[in-house]
Amino acid sequence: MVAKKRQITGSVISSGIVLGTSRIVWQGEVEIAELPIAASKVRAEIAHLHRAVQETVTELKELRDSAGEKMGGTIAKIFDAQLMIAEDAEFLKQVEAEVLKQRRNVGFVYSRMIQETVRPLVSSNDVYLRQMATDIEAVSSRVLAILSGSEKCDLKFAPNTILIGKSFTPGDIISYRQRKAVGFVVSKGGLNSHMALIARALMLPVILAPEGWDQIPGNCRIVLDGTTGEVIVDPSDDDWTKFQKKKRKHGPSTLTKIKRLTNFPPVTQDGRTVGIGANLSLSGPADALLASREIPVGLYRTEFLYLSYGGFPDEQVQYEYYSQIGQLFGQAPVVIRTFDLGYDKLSTHNIWPDEENPALGWRGIRPMLEMTELFKTQIRAILRASTEGSFRIMLPMISDLGELELAKKMINQVKLSLKKKKIRFDEEIQIGIMVEVPSAALMADRLAESADFLSIGTNDLTQYALAADRLNNKVARLYNSLHPSVLQLIKLTVKACKKHGKPVSICGEVAGDSLAVPLFIGMGVDLLSINPNRIVDICRLISRIDSERARTLAESVLESGSIKEVKDRLTTFSLAIAKK
Amino acid sequence: MITTTVTIINKLGLHARPSAMLVTTASKFKSEIYFTKEGLRVNGKSIMGVMMLAAEHGANLLVEADGPDENEALEAIKKVVAAGFSEVG
Repeated sequence: MVAKKRQITGSVISSGIVLGTSRIVWQGEVEIAELPIAASKVRAEIAHLHRAVQETVTELKELRDSAGEKMGGTIAKIFDAQLMIAEDAEFLKQVEAEVLKQRRNVGFVYSRMIQETVRPLVSSNDVYLRQMATDIEAVSSRVLAILSGSEKCDLKFAPNTILIGKSFTPGDIISYRQRKAVGFVVSKGGLNSHMALIARALMLPVILAPEGWDQIPGNCRIVLDGTTGEVIVDPSDDDWTKFQKKKRKHGPSTLTKIKRLTNFPPVTQDGRTVGIGANLSLSGPADALLASREIPVGLYRTEFLYLSYGGFPDEQVQYEYYSQIGQLFGQAPVVIRTFDLGYDKLSTHNIWPDEENPALGWRGIRPMLEMTELFKTQIRAILRASTEGSFRIMLPMISDLGELELAKKMINQVKLSLKKKKIRFDEEIQIGIMVEVPSAALMADRLAESADFLSIGTNDLTQYALAADRLNNKVARLYNSLHPSVLQLIKLTVKACKKHGKPVSICGEVAGDSLAVPLFIGMGVDLLSINPNRIVDICRLISRIDSERARTLAESVLESGSIKEVKDRLTTFSLAIAKK
Repeated sequence: MITTTVTIINKLGLHARPSAMLVTTASKFKSEIYFTKEGLRVNGKSIMGVMMLAAEHGANLLVEADGPDENEALEAIKKVVAAGFSEVG
């Protein structure tokens, strides 16, 4: 087809540049009608079921193998339970018997029997039991999609396929990647959605284009520029060549430059060592690369475990996962952040109540302190794995000293029970907190007394300090981590840590912003924990900074009254470095 | 046919992994195996059945085994349940 060159500008959810062929993915709820089946057709109907089950099993096995390859054996186990569910011979026999008896279409019978099975689970008070319903539904929705013919199951796409769709689940991302999709254009899904986290961990570019995604034709040459958010439909040959060059410069290869990094950790011109750590969310190709250079992990998110598992993973699954990370990173410290879940990340899961204002709701450490068994299970798993690496535990969204004390008390209870059972663990494991609520920054003096380290999560801190949601277009312009108020909160936190001799780090996006790095060094931040593909650039930048000058810079910046003033001062400083 | 009663002692109850372990254990034997909880009787070799029991921590299950290796089957099931499905805590 001849389409006119078109350009759509969206926002970057996961960066990178890809060139390929578009393919539209239609998604939707599968509606199954109740249809009478003639006696002569019953056999064919049952054969239909077995084919659908067989296809689902094949798909799940491929998912499992691919997950195992890319993310390690623990993640692959997630699909083992789903495989058992898909292959449950006893259940399938019952479905067959019902089809024979009722003479109804197999899709209808299967779907009704699944509903009967999950009913007691959905209404259970136990989170783990409720999650089994999610596992069962993950399987049944695949079987039903195949039965109703709504999904054409060609397992492999053409090379360099770029998928266009309304939204994708984290499982879709893993599964489509395995089918060789290289990029995504979506109309829904935020920067912090789990789909986004998984896409970033797997280094798959995703562009969010609520306006215009549905105008992209299928089977057409297309370029995703995940550095600017541009989608170019049917580009000219010149454009194509231009983007191929850009891709070579910005592709995942930036990460491999870590291998050639000469000085790690980086040292400023005047000899001050600055800690650099990586932010990770999902074990993936980046891990081994970072570990080979003994780069610490300043923030290892664990929420994805919940997502790929479709529920709270049990202790053994978590233990194996953390052990694997510990063994890989060895002596390089890894800060594991306990589950940071909330309605915004889990709206599709039935365990979370609807909330009017999820950002101010039941999220972060709050649900974990109530669902104590889940929290203790995670702590037990981390502690058991702590002998295999150098772990630290970080608690998200602490807004009050009482929360920290309560969490510490629960951690101590777990330690005690492990000791009683003579299970070895790192008894000196450090327990730190995220400072991402303004109240924590204001109370940093007391919190720094009680916690072993503080890490400033500037993404949420900015949203709360300025009461602006960066994903809401109407107020996104207000959201800026360089706002003087945010900088004052950071200053308070750093000061409190210095007073009590506790390490302080920044793990929000602004920690990887070249403009802001000299400021944070000048403020005395010990470690910047950043996206792995920023490490090489930031290390190079640090080697050109003089820490005394950075300190003077910080003093003047902290006098600023507006974002503009802050930026002007930072820009002047960074131009001066560039000239050298 | 022989029967026994077992209590789910692991804290998290019969969730996905323990259910899978229980079914894998039951499936090793030729005997027919059934679990009953509060009147709900399910086939012990069906993961969907075992999940449907929604057996929480402290739940009692009646185990029935019927077949040539019923004694061994019952022993194996008692063992895996009593070990708390290898969960610590």
